[in-house]
Amino acid sequence: MARSMHIMVVDDEETICLALSAWLTKEGYSVETAASGQEALARMAEKKSDLYLVDFKMPGMDGLQLLAEIRARQPDAALIMITAHGSIGSAVEAMKRGAIDYLCKPFDPEELSLIMERVEAARAIQQAEAPVADHYAGTSQLSWGGIVGQSEALRVVLNEIEEVAPTNASVLITGETGTGKDLLALAIHMRSEHAHGPFVAINCGAQSETLLESELFGHEQGAFTGALKARRGRLEMANGGTLFLDEIGEISPKMQVNLLRVLEEKKFCRLGGNQPIDIDFRLVSATHRDLRQLLREEQFREDFFYRINVLTIHIPPLRERLEDVPVLADFFLQKYAQETGKPVEGLTPRAVEILMGYNWPGNVRELRNVIERVVVIARGRMIGAEELRFLKTYDDSCRSAPATLREAEILHLQGALEACDWNVTRAAKMLDIDRVTLTRKMKRFNLKRP
Amino acid sequence: MSVDISAEPLLDLIPYGEIDPLALSVLAANLQAVLGLPTRVRPDRPLPEDSFIPVRYQYDAVKIVGSLDRERDGARFRMGVIQRDLCIPILTYVYGESQLGGRAAVISLHRLHHIDRQVTFERGAKIAIHEAGHLLGLEHCREPGCLMRFSKQLEQLDLLPMRFCSACEYEIARLLKRAVQNRY
Ligand SMILES: [Zn+2]
Ligand SMILES: [Zn+2]
Repeated sequence: MARSMHIMVVDDEETICLALSAWLTKEGYSVETAASGQEALARMAEKKSDLYLVDFKMPGMDGLQLLAEIRARQPDAALIMITAHGSIGSAVEAMKRGAIDYLCKPFDPEELSLIMERVEAARAIQQAEAPVADHYAGTSQLSWGGIVGQSEALRVVLNEIEEVAPTNASVLITGETGTGKDLLALAIHMRSEHAHGPFVAINCGAQSETLLESELFGHEQGAFTGALKARRGRLEMANGGTLFLDEIGEISPKMQVNLLRVLEEKKFCRLGGNQPIDIDFRLVSATHRDLRQLLREEQFREDFFYRINVLTIHIPPLRERLEDVPVLADFFLQKYAQETGKPVEGLTPRAVEILMGYNWPGNVRELRNVIERVVVIARGRMIGAEELRFLKTYDDSCRSAPATLREAEILHLQGALEACDWNVTRAAKMLDIDRVTLTRKMKRFNLKRP
Repeated sequence: MSVDISAEPLLDLIPYGEIDPLALSVLAANLQAVLGLPTRVRPDRPLPEDSFIPVRYQYDAVKIVGSLDRERDGARFRMGVIQRDLCIPILTYVYGESQLGGRAAVISLHRLHHIDRQVTFERGAKIAIHEAGHLLGLEHCREPGCLMRFSKQLEQLDLLPMRFCSACEYEIARLLKRAVQNRY
């Protein structure tokens, strides 16, 4: 992923500068270091950074003074204050004067990682320039914040986003896996009055219940074994911004009750704490499941459902808006060509035809994976039918697929495996399922390399 | 060009203190199979006491990596394996530490412990492969199913499959070819 963010680390302790810059470099950022406030300002005059990580306590100019100097020279600069353990007072002071966050050293790797995610999200917001409407007015092609297409269906969705975004109502986004519901959530955030606050996303389906709980609510020191330090949860981080709960259909009824209480009272306590914390955020949720069905099966609470589902936006699957395929394919092709440095320029008309003839069960994500793969194997400047051969056989077999679902599944799996030379790992990735699941299915259907 | 890569190890696994021999075999086998990095296990050494930080009751990963990097003998890449807790000056702990595009790395099995030994080994192998990826010059990747993704918690590490995404795989093949050519 192209990450052009440039970061300056300012600390008088060399080991801290080195350790932080090594960590950030591995994350793909370009990093420079300065040993003092004066050096930082001198370097800044040469080249501005997007983010400054500043130690609070330094000889000469201290962190707060440097913060003021940086803000005077570069008002849009993001700054994170690093403070010594136990000096929360200085951290609070720094936040009041415009630091976006703080870290008490030494900090947990996951804490640093979470803060960087927030900085990235905030930056994405800043960079997604003009409003949605301006972006596609007068052109047939829609492209905004990674949402790409030209279909009427997508235009309808974007219009709905324009309408719901400025309201403060909770929005539920529905659509199949891989349709890009996360991008729509971000689009709503950017067009809302919370746009200048944080956009905090969490996938409710990707973690265990206990982990999700501590991730959302945070915890106080000693709340459970291993909670060595107090930690803010995502609810707290989303204050003043938007909280995006992806895969909301996966959360347990107990967690639904807890969240419902937070949404109603606009306050909550960290795990192991009893100090209520006031919060205010806009809620956007998403699911690929049929929540009404879950309601009927009593796996989803009615009161919670109506709380999160004030407004609904549905994004149709890619097979219902095939006009978006060529635009999306070109978008991903340019992206991966740039990332891998391969001189791939475009798709032949025949290749586009093949892509449009396919029914994309994995939606935009599958298209993205296919293009990524094709760019990696491409030999020439143009991608032709030859490179997409795996996709064609794979689909033809599906289309002539007869009667039963079981037969269709077997043919589909077989096609994918053939396309990947029976490499189970690659085929699983293409099908967007995990390797174990695929192996199990192969065993069940007795699928073997011929 | 024909190079018999099985003959010459590219990576030395160096156990510090007592390490389960089976753990070392699993690490070496996975480095070899998943990454294609010919690996050999060296005799174990005493714990690196000069890297011990008494107040934190942890070992300084940066110091261990530095001393491994300065060693003259051995394979092109060397990776320490330790059963004690590792940290770096700014972070409360690390599972592993490595030089990006460099020679030396160290991993700790301390926080990877699981009742089922198999799970501990698998976690260790994922960390070892991830750090070896850094040695080859790979940065973190954002693909959810890729070993070069930074795992915030063990739960995330456990969810990772034992493989790289296609972009990283492509990059590894390229970097490995280069490493084989410059093995000395
Ligand atoms: Zn890493
Ligand atoms: Zn990757």
